[in-house]
Amino acid sequence: MIGKVLVANRGEIALRVIRACRELGIRSVAVYSTADRESLHHELADESVCIGPPPAASSYLNIPAIISAAELTGADAVHPGYGFLAENARFAEICERVGLTFVGPDSRTIARMGDKAEARETAAAAGVPVTPGSDGPCGSVREVKRLGAELGYPLVIKASAGGGGKGMRVVESEAQVEEAYLGASREAGANFGDGSVYVEKYVRSLRHVEMQVLADSHGTTVTFPERDCSIQRRYQKLIEESPAPGLPEDVRAGLVEASERLVGSLGYEGAGTVEFVYAGGQFNFIEMNTRLQVEHCVTEMVCGVDIVAEQLKVASGERLEVPPEALAPDGHAIEFRINAEDPGRNFLPQAGLVEVYNPPGGPGVRVDSHLYAGYRVPPHYDSLLAKLIVHARDREAAIRRGIRALDEFAISGMETTLPLHLAVLEDEEFRRGGVTTSFLAERELESEGGLLRLNAISG
Amino acid sequence: MPETDENRRDPLPLREVERLVELLRESGVGEIRVRRGETEISVKARPEATTPQAIQGLPETVEPETSPEMDGLHAVRSPVVGTFYRAPAPGEGAYVEVGDAVSAGQTLCIVEAMKLMNEIVADVSGEVVEVLAENAGGVEYDQPLFYLRPDEQ
Repeated sequence: MIGKVLVANRGEIALRVIRACRELGIRSVAVYSTADRESLHHELADESVCIGPPPAASSYLNIPAIISAAELTGADAVHPGYGFLAENARFAEICERVGLTFVGPDSRTIARMGDKAEARETAAAAGVPVTPGSDGPCGSVREVKRLGAELGYPLVIKASAGGGGKGMRVVESEAQVEEAYLGASREAGANFGDGSVYVEKYVRSLRHVEMQVLADSHGTTVTFPERDCSIQRRYQKLIEESPAPGLPEDVRAGLVEASERLVGSLGYEGAGTVEFVYAGGQFNFIEMNTRLQVEHCVTEMVCGVDIVAEQLKVASGERLEVPPEALAPDGHAIEFRINAEDPGRNFLPQAGLVEVYNPPGGPGVRVDSHLYAGYRVPPHYDSLLAKLIVHARDREAAIRRGIRALDEFAISGMETTLPLHLAVLEDEEFRRGGVTTSFLAERELESEGGLLRLNAISG
Repeated sequence: MPETDENRRDPLPLREVERLVELLRESGVGEIRVRRGETEISVKARPEATTPQAIQGLPETVEPETSPEMDGLHAVRSPVVGTFYRAPAPGEGAYVEVGDAVSAGQTLCIVEAMKLMNEIVADVSGEVVEVLAENAGGVEYDQPLFYLRPDEQ
């Protein structure tokens, strides 16, 4: 077994990994920037090392500082969490070279899935359905026009190295191709240092459905029940649930089979997520994330597994310990991302002192958070303050529990997305289940007696 | 939802300016000038912010211990995570000893990180009052390594 893990992250996910280490009897090393001197991950780890000033580029993305910290503390493994260096193939490769166990797949697999055009090709070659589009990167305006003639408009142009909607353009007609292609390529180059793009048929109304997988080095792979992450704002997930409401059994079986095909063809090791879009009874592969995801907790709740503990065991060369009954979901779980953003003012980021912090409790409620009263939210990092996960025997009960828990949740000192989540849970269409990723874009927020409410945008 | 072109709606490239400021801070250079089309941006550091010891972005109130710095002592801090060495090579004498007078720019020690030897220099002239780290031990970013008593101006 790994003896000591350096946690190359901050916030709630650093705590999540430290907690798993504690339960497994593994020592943990936190790294932190000078902006995180008062942070819980620095307090709760067995050891901690300050690695740099507040900007992430000089601290949480500073590979030499993190490797030095691992050497100084004698850590034998690095857990990257999500974000920061979690999908940085170069970092994984450096860890491999200096003899540190990177908790995740090998650097070649990270690079392969990190290139979205190559990931599409790999999936198609493994017999996984992909959205119709270009074979690999698309090199010219003429090529896009040829695809437009073949597949019909609208199309979407996406950055090969991309994610999060950057370097992405929807093209409604041939007349828009040139400007959109050049714009997407320029933006991709500026954001990712790689201007190559690929093209897919654009589907306006779809659901985001994803499969959590875990694979060990002994050839065992498990695929957990699907998660539905369709409640998004500007391509950022806000609410995730498992299982996906109203998904037909044959689709569910098809998703499991498709994920296993891709994971098998990669010789994958560790935790990962295969992401699909689902529309009109059909699912298609979009990308694979070669890391732990923010929303892994909903799977943990319905399956009764500890995904982070399994990651650490797999990285130690041990066998997966997931009983078959864990692969059938027990009830329903929903996760709400509580972000330091003001939904009343176009989601303006918030920072500053947390004056009151009272997380909810009671049956079926889990809160993963690095907050405490008196904590100062630094302005340098992402806005996730807490994840609230509720679990109940079915979706309706989980929604009622979610409303109860969100009502109890008190954070003062800054605006958060708490009232937005309550508004979503009150929405009739959401309660029926099966909404698409345009759910929030099709509604506007209205303040009513101190509460937020979602109204359909007419027309 | 369709993407809007943010650059077109926002004539001031604030994000780029922010990136330049960060780059300026990290690199320690005095000025960065960038031109793109008709826009020219120039970012200059304040004179005191160009020394490697200037720690950016720290809330003013953070000074954890009631520090000797209040007695007019000046802390020389480690700019990197690494291993602290008082001498240029094993078996050689230490760069400085307590009581030595040092001048600004003089090497005080080495912090080795990833096989790179980083010479840490005094940023003020004065007398070495205390060596705060142990030879061949680990030091973290921003850890005080020496206390100097700066010369009277």
